[in-house]
Order: sequence, then C-alpha cells, then structure tokens
Amino acid sequence: MTLDWSIIWLNKQELAEGALMTIVLTVLTMGLAVPLGIVLAFMRLSKWRSLAFLSLCFVELFRNIPLILIVYWSFYVIPILIPVQFSAFTTGLVALVLCVSAYNAETFRAGINSVRQGQTNAGLALGMSQLQVMKEIILPQAARRVLPILATTWVSLFKDTSLVSVIAVGELSHVALQIRSQSFRVLEMLTAMAVIYWIMGYPQAKLSDWVRKKFEVKE
Amino acid sequence: MTETAPLRRAATQRPLLEYKHVRKTFGAFKALDDISINIYPGEVVCFIGPSGSGKSTLLRGTNGLDPFDGGEVFFDGQILPRKQSEVRKVRQRMGMVFQNFELFPHKTALQNVAIGPITVLNKDRTEAEQQAMALLAKVGLADKADNYPVNLSGGQQQRVAIARALAMQPEVLLFDEPTSALDPETIGEVLSVMKTLADEGRTMVIVTHEMSFARRVADWVIVFERGQVLEEGPPEQIFEAPKVQRTKEFLSHLGWA
Repeated sequence: MTLDWSIIWLNKQELAEGALMTIVLTVLTMGLAVPLGIVLAFMRLSKWRSLAFLSLCFVELFRNIPLILIVYWSFYVIPILIPVQFSAFTTGLVALVLCVSAYNAETFRAGINSVRQGQTNAGLALGMSQLQVMKEIILPQAARRVLPILATTWVSLFKDTSLVSVIAVGELSHVALQIRSQSFRVLEMLTAMAVIYWIMGYPQAKLSDWVRKKFEVKE
Repeated sequence: MTETAPLRRAATQRPLLEYKHVRKTFGAFKALDDISINIYPGEVVCFIGPSGSGKSTLLRGTNGLDPFDGGEVFFDGQILPRKQSEVRKVRQRMGMVFQNFELFPHKTALQNVAIGPITVLNKDRTEAEQQAMALLAKVGLADKADNYPVNLSGGQQQRVAIARALAMQPEVLLFDEPTSALDPETIGEVLSVMKTLADEGRTMVIVTHEMSFARRVADWVIVFERGQVLEEGPPEQIFEAPKVQRTKEFLSHLGWA
C-alpha cells in the first residue's frame, strides 16, 4: 500500500477552514451555553416549583441522550416545530448549545450548592440581603469551583463538535471526511484529522489543567 | 447556708433582649421548651449546659437565622420580626461570631472586616477599610490584614471574625461556641480579646464550654438542660453554690468541684 500525503497539502485551504469552523463552533456554543446554564441553574434553585421543574426536565432530557441524537433530532424536528429554515450550521449550533447548557446548568448548580450554609449565615448575620449574599459571598466562591469544570467541558466540547459533521456542517471532521470520500485517501485523511485535532486540543487540555490548579479552592 | 444571690446589677434597666416563652422543636425533639430570660445592656451573659441542651439554638434564633416556632423575642423593646426583609434591619444591630469562624475565604482579613459596612451600610470603601484596619489592630492582627483566611491559624481567624462582627458597631455580640473549634493553644488569644470587649462594657451573649472563662468574665450565667433553663444566677452562685442538683452534676462532670 502506498501512502500519498500530498493530499493533505493540496487540501490545506479546506482543512484550515474546517479547523477554523470547529473553533468558531466551540466558542459560540460555550458563549451561549454559559449564560443559558446560569439561567437554568437559577431556575432550578428558585423557590418557584414550576420553574425548578422546567429546568430539571430540560437538564435531565438533554444530559441523558447522546449528542449525536440531539444533532439528528434538531435537524429533523426544528423545521417541524418552527417554520424557519435554519442553515446546517445554526442547527448544529442549537444542538450543541442544548446539550452543553444542560451540562453547565448542573455544573453551576453544584458550584453554588458546594458553598457551605455557614457562609450564607455569616453574610446574613451581617445584615446582608439574600441577593447581596449571593453576589458577594456565594458566586465568587462558586466561580472558583466551577471554572475548572467548565474548562474540562470546553475540552470535551471541542472534540464533540465533530458530531455535527453528520448534518453536513463544514467543520474539520466533515471537511476531512469529504476529502477522504472523494480521494479515497482514507488513512492519510484520518491521520491528518487526528494530528490537527491533537495539535489544537493539546494546548487547551494543558490550559484546562492550569486553570484547575490555579483556581483550586484551599480552605 | 441561707445566702441570697447578689442582685443582678443591670436588672434595673429595660432588657436589651427579652425572651418570652420561646419554643422550638425538631420533629418530636423539644430543642427549646418555654424559655423566658432577659439580657440587660452592658451584661456579659454566658449560656452553659450539656450538648444538645438548646443554648446554641436559642442564640441562633435570636437573630432569626434559625427562627423559633413559638414565643417572642424583644430586642430593644421591639418584637423580633419574622419577615426576612425586616429581620435584616435587626441583624445589622447584632454581631455574631460562629464556632467555625465562617470567614469569607475569597477575601483578605481586611476585606472580611470591611465587607459588612461596605455592602450593608453603604460606607465608602476607604473609610470602611480604615475602620477595618483599626479593628484588626484591636484584635492584634494589623500585620495580617492582607492575609487570606487559609493562611491564618484558627485563633487568628476567629479574631478576624470578631473584628468583622465589631465593624457593624452592633449593640449586642452573640458568640456561638467561639472556641470549640480551636486548638487548645489558640483558645487563650480569642478569650483574651473577648475579655477586652467585656471590659469595655459591651453586651455579650456567649455560648461556651469554657467554664473558667465564664466564671471569670460573666456577669450572669444561665444553665440549660433539655431545652429548659435549669438555673440562672451570677457566676459565684452557679459555680460555687448551685441551687439545683443537676447544675452541680453537670459542673462536676466537667471537673468543677
């Protein structure tokens, strides 16, 4: 078997665009899933039972089905639910946001709950309002515990964006697999894909480790 | 022996805290069973008694952190409100020191002391920090102002917590077993700060197991058992000549005579 690595160089433009799209998808997904996750977490912790229940349903639904299914589901169901034609990119983004915001909601909820009741009491005893306690005492401490987990989610998300290739979003996987099926250079393209993902993913994983160390809560 | 207890010196004034028939239950357990006691301005009152006797529960209900089920508390003649928004106003006038310090770990010692005046009283930051610095100096920790709680010993943390409570210029200080979580060698430094505050004539309510401290510093001692007041009186009475047999037993259990 002869390998022809020139196929990668020939398609460098497409691969670069695919890689860029992967990054764009990751950034946009996290950019939307963080605020949405915070909203869901506060809904879940709210004293209004119906809000809490709604958030619970959302989180437990999207946390417990495979992402690839959410991607397919978004692709076929959204056009039926709302009479708007979404591009493949938007559909893929929606699917990723649904999934990741469910994860983030749990992360934020756990982070807020991990702050001891005694801390709330200490704030209240000073005469703070519940809102002030949340803003001054709970959230700053929760943030330190949440950040490392968000970093881990980020690293997973970066790789999971490859799943939206199944609905033809032009990110790195889709582009590479397309080239593979047109050129029949299977091994070369899969290797190239792995190398590109690794080169981009490794620094992120290292950064995530650093974040975890840096924000480790010492008590 | 027909000795009568010395008159409660402060009792000629209106009580600063007045508990009337206070009750609280946890399930079937009567944590507080019809407690009626008074705390007078300028007094140091120690609550003593076995674990689970209700002394901490009474203290934590006083500022509404753990509201009572029945009865009433009057603070400075005003009934303690039940609504969160109203009880806040009362809490600002009571300082509380916790068994586990509960300093805010993401803030320095100085920030811990200044945060109350800044967020609750809307004080100017510079002014609040100047005041905080003075309070840290008062508890002997001026040189630790920029340390985070994690870098302070237990005794130092508790002294910062006392300074944090003082920053709100409270009319009464509530201490919930302030030395129970401390290493033996750091208990002394916290007690000596508390002694200084007592000597300044501050009103203090202290839940404690430090009997020699209570004997030395308290103006009035209240002994609790099973959610009830077993006996109350000046420390000389409680520690030297308790009138109730159970008080004697409790104290002898701790090695007191």
